[in-house]
Amino acid sequence: MTEVRAFFRRHGVSIIVLGVMAAIWQILSLLYTTEAVPGEPMIPGWQVVFTRTLISLSDYWQGGLGVPSVAEGAPPSYTAALLAIVSNSLDTMVRLYLGLLIGGLVGTFLGLAVSWSKWSRRTVELPLQFIRTLPLLAMVPLFQLWFGIYFAGKVAFVAYGVGVIFFAGVVNAVKNVPQVYIDNARTQGANRVQLYLTIILPSIFPELRATILLSLGTAWGAVLGAEYLGAQSGLGYIIVYSEAFAYLDRMFVVALLFVFYASISYAIFNRLSLKLLQWMPRVGRVIVVG
Amino acid sequence: MRLENGIAIKASQLSQSFRRADGQLVDALSSVNFEVLKGQFVCLIGPSGCGKTTLLQIIAGLLLPSSGILEVGNQVVTRPSPERGMVFQKDSVFPWMRVINNVEYGLACRGVGSGERRAIAEHYLERVGLAHVARAWPRELSGGMLKRVAVATVFANGASVLLLDEPFGALDYVTKRHLHNVLLTLWAETGRNKPRTVLFVTHDVDEALILADRILVFHTGRIVDDLALVAPRPRTTDTLLMPQMVQNKHLLLAHLGLETKQAGTGATSSIVRAAND
Repeated sequence: MTEVRAFFRRHGVSIIVLGVMAAIWQILSLLYTTEAVPGEPMIPGWQVVFTRTLISLSDYWQGGLGVPSVAEGAPPSYTAALLAIVSNSLDTMVRLYLGLLIGGLVGTFLGLAVSWSKWSRRTVELPLQFIRTLPLLAMVPLFQLWFGIYFAGKVAFVAYGVGVIFFAGVVNAVKNVPQVYIDNARTQGANRVQLYLTIILPSIFPELRATILLSLGTAWGAVLGAEYLGAQSGLGYIIVYSEAFAYLDRMFVVALLFVFYASISYAIFNRLSLKLLQWMPRVGRVIVVG
Repeated sequence: MRLENGIAIKASQLSQSFRRADGQLVDALSSVNFEVLKGQFVCLIGPSGCGKTTLLQIIAGLLLPSSGILEVGNQVVTRPSPERGMVFQKDSVFPWMRVINNVEYGLACRGVGSGERRAIAEHYLERVGLAHVARAWPRELSGGMLKRVAVATVFANGASVLLLDEPFGALDYVTKRHLHNVLLTLWAETGRNKPRTVLFVTHDVDEALILADRILVFHTGRIVDDLALVAPRPRTTDTLLMPQMVQNKHLLLAHLGLETKQAGTGATSSIVRAAND
Protein backbone atom coordinates (compact mmCIF):
# COMPACT_ATOMS: atom_id res chain seq x y z
CA MET A 1 0.00 0.00 0.00
CA THR A 2 2.76 2.42 0.94
CA GLU A 3 4.56 1.41 -2.25
CA VAL A 4 1.54 2.31 -4.33
CA ARG A 5 1.29 5.63 -2.50
CA ALA A 6 5.00 6.29 -3.05
CA PHE A 7 4.62 5.47 -6.73
CA PHE A 8 1.79 7.98 -7.11
CA ARG A 9 3.64 10.62 -5.14
CA ARG A 10 6.55 10.29 -7.56
CA HIS A 11 4.70 9.81 -10.81
CA GLY A 12 1.16 11.03 -10.07
CA VAL A 13 1.55 14.37 -11.84
CA SER A 14 3.14 12.76 -14.90
CA ILE A 15 0.30 10.23 -15.12
CA ILE A 16 -2.30 12.98 -14.87
CA VAL A 17 -0.58 14.91 -17.69
CA LEU A 18 -0.62 11.78 -19.88
CA GLY A 19 -4.31 11.31 -19.08
CA VAL A 20 -5.02 14.91 -20.04
CA MET A 21 -3.20 14.39 -23.35
CA ALA A 22 -5.35 11.33 -24.08
CA ALA A 23 -8.48 13.33 -23.19
CA ILE A 24 -7.47 16.21 -25.48
CA TRP A 25 -7.08 13.68 -28.29
CA GLN A 26 -10.59 12.41 -27.62
CA ILE A 27 -12.01 15.95 -27.52
CA LEU A 28 -10.26 16.83 -30.78
CA SER A 29 -11.73 13.72 -32.42
CA LEU A 30 -15.21 14.93 -31.41
CA LEU A 31 -14.65 18.54 -32.51
CA TYR A 32 -12.88 17.77 -35.75
CA THR A 33 -14.92 15.07 -37.45
CA THR A 34 -13.61 15.44 -40.99
CA GLU A 35 -12.98 12.10 -42.68
CA ALA A 36 -10.09 11.35 -45.00
CA VAL A 37 -12.29 8.99 -46.99
CA PRO A 38 -15.81 8.02 -45.95
CA GLY A 39 -15.64 6.07 -42.68
CA GLU A 40 -12.01 7.01 -41.92
CA PRO A 41 -11.81 9.95 -39.49
CA MET A 42 -8.74 12.21 -39.63
CA ILE A 43 -8.55 12.01 -35.83
CA PRO A 44 -9.64 8.56 -34.69
CA GLY A 45 -11.06 8.65 -31.16
CA TRP A 46 -10.19 6.01 -28.60
CA GLN A 47 -13.50 4.17 -29.13
CA VAL A 48 -12.44 3.57 -32.76
CA VAL A 49 -8.85 2.66 -31.91
CA PHE A 50 -9.72 0.02 -29.35
CA THR A 51 -12.45 -1.67 -31.36
CA ARG A 52 -12.41 -1.48 -35.12
CA THR A 53 -8.76 -0.55 -35.55
CA LEU A 54 -7.31 -3.27 -33.34
CA ILE A 55 -9.23 -6.06 -35.02
CA SER A 56 -8.53 -4.66 -38.47
CA LEU A 57 -4.82 -5.25 -37.87
CA SER A 58 -5.52 -8.93 -38.57
CA ASP A 59 -5.17 -7.90 -42.23
CA TYR A 60 -1.41 -7.99 -41.63
CA TRP A 61 -1.29 -11.55 -40.32
CA GLN A 62 0.12 -13.68 -43.06
CA GLY A 63 -1.14 -17.00 -41.75
CA GLY A 64 0.47 -19.90 -39.89
CA LEU A 65 0.44 -21.22 -36.29
CA GLY A 66 -3.04 -22.60 -37.01
CA VAL A 67 -4.48 -19.11 -37.34
CA PRO A 68 -5.56 -18.53 -40.95
CA SER A 69 -4.98 -15.11 -42.53
CA VAL A 70 -7.66 -12.74 -43.81
CA ALA A 71 -6.18 -13.13 -47.27
CA GLU A 72 -7.03 -16.86 -47.06
CA GLY A 73 -10.66 -15.92 -46.45
CA ALA A 74 -10.77 -16.12 -42.65
CA PRO A 75 -12.77 -13.44 -40.81
CA PRO A 76 -10.74 -10.83 -38.85
CA SER A 77 -10.09 -11.92 -35.27
CA TYR A 78 -8.30 -10.54 -32.22
CA THR A 79 -5.96 -13.55 -32.28
CA ALA A 80 -4.88 -12.79 -35.81
CA ALA A 81 -4.60 -9.08 -34.93
CA LEU A 82 -2.40 -9.84 -31.93
CA LEU A 83 -0.23 -12.18 -33.99
CA ALA A 84 0.01 -9.49 -36.66
CA ILE A 85 1.24 -6.93 -34.13
CA VAL A 86 3.73 -9.34 -32.55
CA SER A 87 5.16 -10.72 -35.79
CA ASN A 88 5.46 -7.36 -37.54
CA SER A 89 6.97 -5.76 -34.44
CA LEU A 90 9.47 -8.60 -34.17
CA ASP A 91 10.46 -8.22 -37.81
CA THR A 92 11.08 -4.52 -37.34
CA MET A 93 12.92 -4.98 -34.06
CA VAL A 94 15.25 -7.68 -35.33
CA ARG A 95 16.23 -5.38 -38.20
CA LEU A 96 16.55 -2.48 -35.77
CA TYR A 97 18.66 -4.12 -33.07
CA LEU A 98 20.86 -6.10 -35.43
CA GLY A 99 21.57 -2.89 -37.34
CA LEU A 100 22.14 -1.04 -34.07
CA LEU A 101 24.58 -3.69 -32.88
CA ILE A 102 26.56 -3.83 -36.12
CA GLY A 103 26.52 -0.05 -36.58
CA GLY A 104 27.46 0.53 -32.96
CA LEU A 105 30.39 -1.86 -33.08
CA VAL A 106 31.72 -0.68 -36.44
CA GLY A 107 31.20 3.01 -35.60
CA THR A 108 32.92 2.62 -32.23
CA PHE A 109 35.78 0.69 -33.76
CA LEU A 110 36.35 3.30 -36.47
CA GLY A 111 35.96 6.11 -33.95
CA LEU A 112 38.65 4.56 -31.76
CA ALA A 113 40.86 4.05 -34.82
CA VAL A 114 41.10 7.83 -35.18
CA SER A 115 43.11 8.00 -31.97
CA TRP A 116 44.98 4.70 -32.38
CA SER A 117 47.87 5.96 -34.51
CA LYS A 118 48.80 8.63 -36.99
CA TRP A 119 48.23 6.25 -39.88
CA SER A 120 44.90 4.93 -38.74
CA ARG A 121 43.72 8.50 -38.23
CA ARG A 122 44.75 9.52 -41.72
CA THR A 123 43.04 6.46 -43.17
CA VAL A 124 39.77 6.78 -41.32
CA GLU A 125 39.03 10.33 -40.23
CA LEU A 126 38.56 12.34 -43.41
CA PRO A 127 36.66 9.69 -45.42
CA LEU A 128 34.25 9.12 -42.53
CA GLN A 129 33.71 12.80 -41.86
CA PHE A 130 32.84 13.00 -45.55
CA ILE A 131 30.46 10.03 -45.51
CA ARG A 132 28.85 11.41 -42.37
CA THR A 133 27.52 14.42 -44.24
CA LEU A 134 25.34 12.33 -46.58
CA PRO A 135 21.68 12.77 -45.62
CA LEU A 136 20.47 9.47 -44.20
CA LEU A 137 17.02 9.12 -45.73
CA ALA A 138 18.24 10.14 -49.17
CA MET A 139 20.40 7.03 -49.07
CA VAL A 140 17.47 4.59 -48.75
CA PRO A 141 17.11 3.89 -52.50
CA LEU A 142 20.85 3.37 -52.89
CA PHE A 143 20.95 0.87 -50.05
CA GLN A 144 18.01 -1.00 -51.53
CA LEU A 145 19.74 -1.28 -54.85
CA TRP A 146 23.00 -2.33 -53.25
CA PHE A 147 21.78 -4.68 -50.53
CA GLY A 148 18.32 -5.65 -51.80
CA ILE A 149 14.89 -4.89 -50.41
CA TYR A 150 15.02 -7.80 -47.99
CA PHE A 151 16.60 -8.29 -44.62
CA ALA A 152 20.22 -7.39 -45.40
CA GLY A 153 19.32 -4.08 -47.02
CA LYS A 154 17.40 -2.84 -44.00
CA VAL A 155 19.96 -4.02 -41.49
CA ALA A 156 22.75 -2.40 -43.50
CA PHE A 157 20.81 0.84 -43.68
CA VAL A 158 20.21 0.98 -39.93
CA ALA A 159 23.84 0.05 -39.29
CA TYR A 160 24.95 2.88 -41.55
CA GLY A 161 22.68 5.44 -39.88
CA VAL A 162 23.79 4.37 -36.40
CA GLY A 163 27.42 3.84 -37.31
CA VAL A 164 28.06 7.42 -38.37
CA ILE A 165 26.53 8.71 -35.14
CA PHE A 166 28.68 6.35 -33.07
CA PHE A 167 31.74 7.34 -35.06
CA ALA A 168 31.24 11.05 -34.40
CA GLY A 169 30.32 10.43 -30.75
CA VAL A 170 33.34 8.25 -30.07
CA VAL A 171 35.80 10.59 -31.80
CA ASN A 172 34.50 13.46 -29.72
CA ALA A 173 34.41 11.53 -26.45
CA VAL A 174 37.96 10.24 -26.86
CA LYS A 175 39.17 13.82 -27.25
CA ASN A 176 37.74 14.55 -23.80
CA VAL A 177 39.51 11.73 -21.97
CA PRO A 178 41.74 13.46 -19.39
CA GLN A 179 45.37 13.06 -20.40
CA VAL A 180 46.34 12.27 -16.82
CA TYR A 181 44.49 8.91 -16.94
CA ILE A 182 46.29 7.90 -20.13
CA ASP A 183 49.66 9.03 -18.73
CA ASN A 184 49.01 7.23 -15.47
CA ALA A 185 48.16 3.96 -17.22
CA ARG A 186 51.19 4.23 -19.51
CA THR A 187 53.61 4.78 -16.62
CA GLN A 188 52.16 1.68 -14.99
CA GLY A 189 52.99 -0.45 -18.01
CA ALA A 190 49.68 -0.61 -19.89
CA ASN A 191 50.08 -1.46 -23.57
CA ARG A 192 47.91 0.12 -26.24
CA VAL A 193 45.20 -2.53 -26.27
CA GLN A 194 45.02 -2.43 -22.46
CA LEU A 195 44.85 1.35 -22.65
CA TYR A 196 41.78 1.17 -24.88
CA LEU A 197 40.03 -1.56 -22.93
CA THR A 198 40.70 -0.34 -19.39
CA ILE A 199 41.02 3.44 -19.74
CA ILE A 200 39.52 4.87 -22.90
CA LEU A 201 36.37 2.76 -23.18
CA PRO A 202 35.27 3.20 -19.55
CA SER A 203 36.06 6.89 -19.50
CA ILE A 204 34.19 7.67 -22.74
CA PHE A 205 31.10 5.69 -21.75
CA PRO A 206 29.38 8.47 -19.78
CA GLU A 207 29.63 10.78 -22.77
CA LEU A 208 28.68 7.96 -25.12
CA ARG A 209 25.41 7.53 -23.29
CA ALA A 210 24.00 10.54 -25.12
CA THR A 211 25.26 9.09 -28.41
CA ILE A 212 23.59 5.76 -27.72
CA LEU A 213 20.26 7.41 -26.87
CA LEU A 214 20.51 9.53 -30.01
CA SER A 215 21.31 6.48 -32.10
CA LEU A 216 18.29 4.61 -30.68
CA GLY A 217 16.07 7.35 -32.10
CA THR A 218 17.92 7.36 -35.40
CA ALA A 219 17.72 3.58 -35.61
CA TRP A 220 13.92 3.72 -35.35
CA GLY A 221 13.82 6.37 -38.04
CA ALA A 222 16.16 4.42 -40.27
CA VAL A 223 14.40 1.07 -39.99
CA LEU A 224 11.01 2.65 -40.74
CA GLY A 225 12.48 4.65 -43.60
CA ALA A 226 13.84 1.44 -45.06
CA GLU A 227 10.52 -0.31 -44.58
CA TYR A 228 8.53 2.47 -46.25
CA LEU A 229 10.32 1.78 -49.47
CA GLY A 230 9.73 -1.82 -50.11
CA ALA A 231 9.10 -4.32 -47.35
CA GLN A 232 6.69 -7.20 -47.03
CA SER A 233 6.41 -7.01 -43.26
CA GLY A 234 7.20 -4.78 -40.33
CA LEU A 235 5.66 -1.74 -38.71
CA GLY A 236 6.81 0.54 -41.52
CA TYR A 237 5.08 -1.75 -44.00
CA ILE A 238 1.81 -1.43 -42.06
CA ILE A 239 2.10 2.36 -42.20
CA VAL A 240 2.70 2.42 -45.95
CA TYR A 241 -0.14 -0.02 -46.56
CA SER A 242 -2.47 2.03 -44.32
CA GLU A 243 -1.57 5.24 -46.05
CA ALA A 244 -2.60 3.78 -49.39
CA PHE A 245 -6.14 3.29 -48.02
CA ALA A 246 -6.17 6.35 -45.77
CA TYR A 247 -6.44 4.14 -42.65
CA LEU A 248 -5.40 6.90 -40.29
CA ASP A 249 -6.49 4.93 -37.24
CA ARG A 250 -4.08 2.09 -38.06
CA MET A 251 -1.22 4.53 -38.52
CA PHE A 252 -2.10 6.01 -35.16
CA VAL A 253 -1.93 2.57 -33.50
CA VAL A 254 1.46 1.89 -35.02
CA ALA A 255 2.63 5.27 -33.73
CA LEU A 256 1.46 4.26 -30.24
CA LEU A 257 3.39 1.03 -30.60
CA PHE A 258 6.53 3.04 -31.41
CA VAL A 259 6.08 5.09 -28.27
CA PHE A 260 5.61 1.91 -26.25
CA TYR A 261 8.65 0.10 -27.65
CA ALA A 262 10.89 3.14 -27.55
CA SER A 263 9.94 3.81 -23.92
CA ILE A 264 10.81 0.24 -22.98
CA SER A 265 14.17 0.33 -24.73
CA TYR A 266 15.02 3.70 -23.15
CA ALA A 267 14.08 2.40 -19.72
CA ILE A 268 16.16 -0.77 -20.12
CA PHE A 269 19.12 1.21 -21.41
CA ASN A 270 18.85 3.68 -18.56
CA ARG A 271 18.84 0.97 -15.91
CA LEU A 272 21.74 -0.82 -17.52
CA SER A 273 23.86 2.28 -17.94
CA LEU A 274 23.20 3.48 -14.39
CA LYS A 275 24.44 0.12 -13.21
CA LEU A 276 27.55 0.46 -15.35
CA LEU A 277 28.07 4.04 -14.19
CA GLN A 278 27.72 3.52 -10.47
CA TRP A 279 31.28 4.81 -10.13
CA MET A 280 30.26 8.26 -11.30
CA PRO A 281 30.00 11.05 -8.73
CA ARG A 282 26.63 12.35 -9.87
CA VAL A 283 25.08 9.27 -11.39
CA GLY A 284 21.33 9.41 -11.85
CA ARG A 285 21.24 13.04 -10.81
CA VAL A 286 18.01 14.91 -11.44
CA ILE A 287 18.45 18.64 -11.88
CA VAL A 288 15.67 20.88 -10.71
CA VAL A 289 16.38 24.60 -10.85
CA GLY A 290 14.11 26.44 -8.47
CA MET B 1 77.61 4.80 -22.51
CA ARG B 2 77.09 3.01 -19.23
CA LEU B 3 76.33 4.83 -16.04
CA GLU B 4 78.70 4.38 -13.18
CA ASN B 5 77.42 2.16 -10.44
CA GLY B 6 75.29 3.96 -7.92
CA ILE B 7 73.85 6.53 -10.28
CA ALA B 8 70.12 6.20 -10.87
CA ILE B 9 69.38 9.13 -13.16
CA LYS B 10 71.64 11.10 -15.40
CA ALA B 11 70.63 14.09 -17.51
CA SER B 12 73.09 15.38 -20.11
CA GLN B 13 72.47 18.68 -21.91
CA LEU B 14 68.75 18.13 -21.58
CA SER B 15 66.64 20.73 -23.37
CA GLN B 16 62.97 21.00 -24.14
CA SER B 17 61.20 23.76 -25.98
CA PHE B 18 57.53 24.26 -26.77
CA ARG B 19 55.83 26.37 -29.33
CA ARG B 20 53.20 28.42 -27.56
CA ALA B 21 49.80 29.08 -29.09
CA ASP B 22 51.00 32.55 -30.15
CA GLY B 23 53.81 30.89 -32.11
CA GLN B 24 56.64 31.88 -29.81
CA LEU B 25 59.21 29.26 -28.89
CA VAL B 26 59.56 28.78 -25.13
CA ASP B 27 62.40 26.93 -23.46
CA ALA B 28 61.04 24.80 -20.63
CA LEU B 29 64.47 23.27 -20.02
CA SER B 30 67.77 24.56 -21.32
CA SER B 31 70.84 22.35 -21.22
CA VAL B 32 70.18 20.76 -17.86
CA ASN B 33 72.87 18.47 -16.43
CA PHE B 34 72.61 16.48 -13.22
CA GLU B 35 73.07 13.07 -11.70
CA VAL B 36 70.99 11.48 -8.97
CA LEU B 37 72.36 8.69 -6.81
CA LYS B 38 70.42 5.49 -6.24
CA GLY B 39 68.18 5.73 -3.21
CA GLN B 40 68.46 9.51 -3.00
CA PHE B 41 65.43 11.61 -2.11
CA VAL B 42 65.67 14.71 -4.30
CA CYS B 43 63.30 17.65 -4.20
CA LEU B 44 62.95 19.91 -7.21
CA ILE B 45 61.91 23.38 -6.21
CA GLY B 46 61.31 26.55 -8.17
CA PRO B 47 58.66 29.00 -9.24
CA SER B 48 55.76 27.98 -11.51
CA GLY B 49 56.69 27.41 -15.11
CA CYS B 50 60.37 26.79 -14.44
CA GLY B 51 60.41 23.38 -16.12
CA LYS B 52 60.07 21.04 -13.15
CA THR B 53 57.03 19.20 -14.46
CA THR B 54 58.56 19.00 -17.94
CA LEU B 55 61.63 17.35 -16.48
CA LEU B 56 59.51 14.80 -14.62
CA GLN B 57 57.56 14.00 -17.78
CA ILE B 58 60.80 13.42 -19.67
CA ILE B 59 62.08 11.10 -16.95
CA ALA B 60 58.75 9.26 -16.96
CA GLY B 61 59.09 8.79 -20.72
CA LEU B 62 55.87 10.66 -21.45
CA LEU B 63 57.73 13.39 -23.31
CA LEU B 64 60.79 13.15 -25.53
CA PRO B 65 63.39 15.89 -24.97
CA SER B 66 64.06 18.31 -27.82
CA SER B 67 67.74 17.56 -27.35
CA GLY B 68 70.06 15.96 -24.84
CA ILE B 69 70.04 12.54 -23.24
CA LEU B 70 68.28 11.23 -20.20
CA GLU B 71 69.36 7.92 -18.76
CA VAL B 72 67.75 5.90 -15.99
CA GLY B 73 69.63 2.85 -14.83
CA ASN B 74 71.71 2.04 -17.86
CA GLN B 75 69.18 2.97 -20.48
CA VAL B 76 68.24 6.04 -22.43
CA VAL B 77 64.60 6.82 -21.70
CA THR B 78 62.36 6.80 -24.76
CA ARG B 79 59.04 5.56 -23.43
CA PRO B 80 57.21 5.01 -20.12
CA SER B 81 58.12 2.01 -18.03
CA PRO B 82 56.74 0.61 -14.78
CA GLU B 83 60.29 0.97 -13.46
CA ARG B 84 59.55 4.69 -13.25
CA GLY B 85 56.38 5.28 -11.25
CA MET B 86 54.65 8.63 -11.17
CA VAL B 87 52.29 10.40 -8.81
CA PHE B 88 50.60 13.16 -10.76
CA GLN B 89 49.70 16.66 -9.70
CA LYS B 90 46.11 16.18 -10.86
CA ASP B 91 43.92 13.40 -9.54
CA SER B 92 44.97 10.38 -11.52
CA VAL B 93 43.09 7.64 -9.67
CA PHE B 94 40.77 5.95 -12.18
CA PRO B 95 37.24 6.75 -10.99
CA TRP B 96 35.70 3.74 -12.74
CA MET B 97 37.74 1.24 -10.73
CA ARG B 98 37.36 0.47 -7.07
CA VAL B 99 40.27 1.55 -4.87
CA ILE B 100 41.82 -1.92 -4.69
CA ASN B 101 41.61 -2.35 -8.47
CA ASN B 102 43.36 0.98 -8.89
CA VAL B 103 46.24 -0.12 -6.69
CA GLU B 104 46.68 -3.41 -8.53
CA TYR B 105 46.14 -1.94 -12.01
CA GLY B 106 49.78 -1.83 -13.07
CA LEU B 107 50.39 -5.34 -11.77
CA ALA B 108 47.37 -6.58 -13.71
CA CYS B 109 48.63 -4.90 -16.89
CA ARG B 110 51.88 -6.77 -16.53
CA GLY B 111 50.17 -10.10 -16.03
CA VAL B 112 50.82 -10.63 -12.30
CA GLY B 113 48.45 -13.34 -11.03
CA SER B 114 45.28 -12.18 -9.34
CA GLY B 115 46.10 -13.65 -5.94
CA GLU B 116 49.57 -12.21 -5.82
CA ARG B 117 48.60 -8.74 -7.00
CA ARG B 118 45.67 -8.61 -4.61
CA ALA B 119 48.03 -9.40 -1.74
CA ILE B 120 50.49 -6.70 -2.81
CA ALA B 121 47.72 -4.14 -3.26
CA GLU B 122 46.21 -4.96 0.11
CA HIS B 123 49.62 -4.66 1.76
CA TYR B 124 50.23 -1.14 0.45
CA LEU B 125 46.67 0.01 1.09
CA GLU B 126 47.20 -1.12 4.65
CA ARG B 127 50.47 0.80 4.81
CA VAL B 128 48.85 4.06 3.70
CA GLY B 129 46.00 3.45 6.14
CA LEU B 130 43.26 2.79 3.59
CA ALA B 131 42.59 -0.91 4.09
CA HIS B 132 39.04 -0.06 5.17
CA VAL B 133 38.12 1.56 1.85
CA ALA B 134 39.61 -1.06 -0.47
CA ARG B 135 36.20 -1.81 -1.99
CA ALA B 136 35.05 1.82 -2.18
CA TRP B 137 34.71 3.91 -5.33
CA PRO B 138 37.19 6.79 -5.63
CA ARG B 139 34.28 9.27 -5.62
CA GLU B 140 33.65 8.30 -2.00
CA LEU B 141 37.16 9.35 -0.94
CA SER B 142 38.55 12.74 0.08
CA GLY B 143 41.37 14.48 -1.79
CA GLY B 144 43.95 13.35 0.76
CA MET B 145 42.74 9.76 0.58
CA LEU B 146 43.01 9.81 -3.21
CA LYS B 147 46.63 10.92 -2.92
CA ARG B 148 47.25 8.05 -0.55
CA VAL B 149 45.77 5.67 -3.13
CA ALA B 150 48.17 7.12 -5.69
CA VAL B 151 51.10 6.64 -3.32
CA ALA B 152 50.04 3.04 -2.56
CA THR B 153 49.75 2.38 -6.31
CA VAL B 154 53.19 3.69 -7.13
CA PHE B 155 54.75 1.54 -4.39
CA ALA B 156 52.71 -1.53 -5.34
CA ASN B 157 54.13 -1.27 -8.84
CA GLY B 158 57.59 -1.70 -7.36
CA ALA B 159 59.22 1.07 -9.35
CA SER B 160 62.84 1.88 -8.54
CA VAL B 161 62.41 5.53 -9.52
CA LEU B 162 59.48 7.45 -8.07
CA LEU B 163 58.47 10.72 -9.70
CA LEU B 164 56.13 12.84 -7.63
CA ASP B 165 54.77 16.02 -9.21
CA GLU B 166 53.54 18.33 -6.47
CA PRO B 167 51.57 15.39 -5.14
CA PHE B 168 50.40 17.03 -1.95
CA GLY B 169 50.14 20.60 -3.22
CA ALA B 170 46.41 20.99 -2.81
CA LEU B 171 46.12 19.34 0.58
CA ASP B 172 45.68 20.87 4.01
CA TYR B 173 48.62 21.08 6.40
CA VAL B 174 47.68 18.14 8.63
CA THR B 175 46.99 15.75 5.77
CA LYS B 176 50.19 16.83 4.08
CA ARG B 177 52.29 16.10 7.18
CA HIS B 178 50.67 12.67 7.54
CA LEU B 179 51.43 11.85 3.93
CA HIS B 180 55.05 12.97 4.35
CA ASN B 181 55.43 10.40 7.11
CA VAL B 182 53.76 7.69 5.03
CA LEU B 183 55.97 8.44 2.05
CA LEU B 184 59.19 8.59 4.06
CA THR B 185 58.40 5.36 5.88
CA LEU B 186 57.72 3.46 2.66
CA TRP B 187 60.77 4.97 1.00
CA ALA B 188 63.06 4.09 3.91
CA GLU B 189 61.86 0.55 4.45
CA THR B 190 62.17 -0.61 0.86
CA GLY B 191 65.41 1.28 0.55
CA ARG B 192 67.51 -1.45 2.21
CA ASN B 193 67.15 -4.23 -0.32
CA LYS B 194 66.06 -2.27 -3.37
CA PRO B 195 66.85 1.41 -3.16
CA ARG B 196 64.11 3.66 -4.44
CA THR B 197 65.16 6.95 -5.90
CA VAL B 198 62.66 9.75 -5.43
CA LEU B 199 62.24 12.96 -7.41
CA PHE B 200 59.72 15.16 -5.68
CA VAL B 201 58.54 18.42 -7.25
CA THR B 202 57.26 21.03 -4.85
CA HIS B 203 56.71 24.76 -4.32
CA ASP B 204 56.79 24.36 -0.59
CA VAL B 205 60.14 25.15 1.03
CA ASP B 206 59.31 23.46 4.34
CA GLU B 207 58.15 20.35 2.54
CA ALA B 208 61.44 20.15 0.68
CA LEU B 209 63.44 20.64 3.89
CA ILE B 210 61.53 17.90 5.69
CA LEU B 211 61.80 15.37 2.87
CA ALA B 212 64.94 15.81 0.86
CA ASP B 213 68.50 14.51 0.91
CA ARG B 214 69.16 17.05 -1.75
CA ILE B 215 67.36 20.01 -3.25
CA LEU B 216 67.70 21.09 -6.87
CA VAL B 217 66.56 24.66 -7.42
CA PHE B 218 65.13 25.44 -10.85
CA HIS B 219 64.67 28.79 -12.47
CA THR B 220 63.55 29.43 -16.06
CA GLY B 221 64.56 25.99 -17.25
CA ARG B 222 67.95 25.84 -15.55
CA ILE B 223 69.31 24.40 -12.33
CA VAL B 224 70.47 27.42 -10.35
CA ASP B 225 71.41 25.70 -7.09
CA ASP B 226 72.03 22.25 -5.71
CA LEU B 227 71.88 21.83 -1.94
CA ALA B 228 72.66 18.74 0.12
CA LEU B 229 70.74 18.44 3.38
CA VAL B 230 72.67 16.50 5.95
CA ALA B 231 70.20 16.92 8.81
CA PRO B 232 69.38 13.56 10.45
CA ARG B 233 66.07 11.75 9.99
CA PRO B 234 63.38 11.56 11.15
CA ARG B 235 63.13 15.31 10.84
CA THR B 236 60.91 17.16 13.26
CA THR B 237 59.87 20.70 13.89
CA ASP B 238 63.08 21.06 15.90
CA THR B 239 65.13 19.87 12.94
CA LEU B 240 63.74 22.71 10.89
CA LEU B 241 64.94 25.13 13.58
CA MET B 242 68.55 23.97 13.38
CA PRO B 243 70.72 26.94 12.26
CA GLN B 244 71.86 25.11 9.16
CA MET B 245 68.26 24.37 8.14
CA VAL B 246 67.17 27.94 8.78
CA GLN B 247 69.97 29.15 6.55
CA ASN B 248 68.91 26.72 3.86
CA LYS B 249 65.38 28.02 4.16
CA HIS B 250 66.55 31.61 3.74
CA LEU B 251 68.51 30.63 0.69
CA LEU B 252 65.58 28.79 -0.89
CA LEU B 253 63.24 31.68 -0.17
CA ALA B 254 65.73 34.00 -1.81
CA HIS B 255 65.81 31.75 -4.86
CA LEU B 256 62.04 31.90 -5.04
CA GLY B 257 62.22 35.69 -4.90
CA LEU B 258 60.61 35.93 -1.50
CA GLU B 259 63.71 37.28 0.30
CA THR B 260 66.69 39.23 -0.90
CA LYS B 261 70.01 37.43 -0.84
CA GLN B 262 71.89 38.22 2.37
CA ALA B 263 75.29 38.81 0.92
CA GLY B 264 78.14 38.88 3.41
CA THR B 265 76.10 37.69 6.39
CA GLY B 266 77.50 34.23 6.01
CA ALA B 267 74.09 32.80 5.30
CA THR B 268 75.33 30.75 2.43
CA SER B 269 78.73 29.86 3.77
CA SER B 270 77.61 26.95 5.92
CA ILE B 271 75.53 25.39 3.24
CA VAL B 272 76.94 22.12 2.07
CA ARG B 273 77.15 22.34 -1.66
CA ALA B 274 76.71 19.07 -3.48
CA ALA B 275 77.09 20.59 -6.89
CA ASN B 276 80.21 20.56 -8.92
CA ASP B 277 82.43 22.35 -6.38
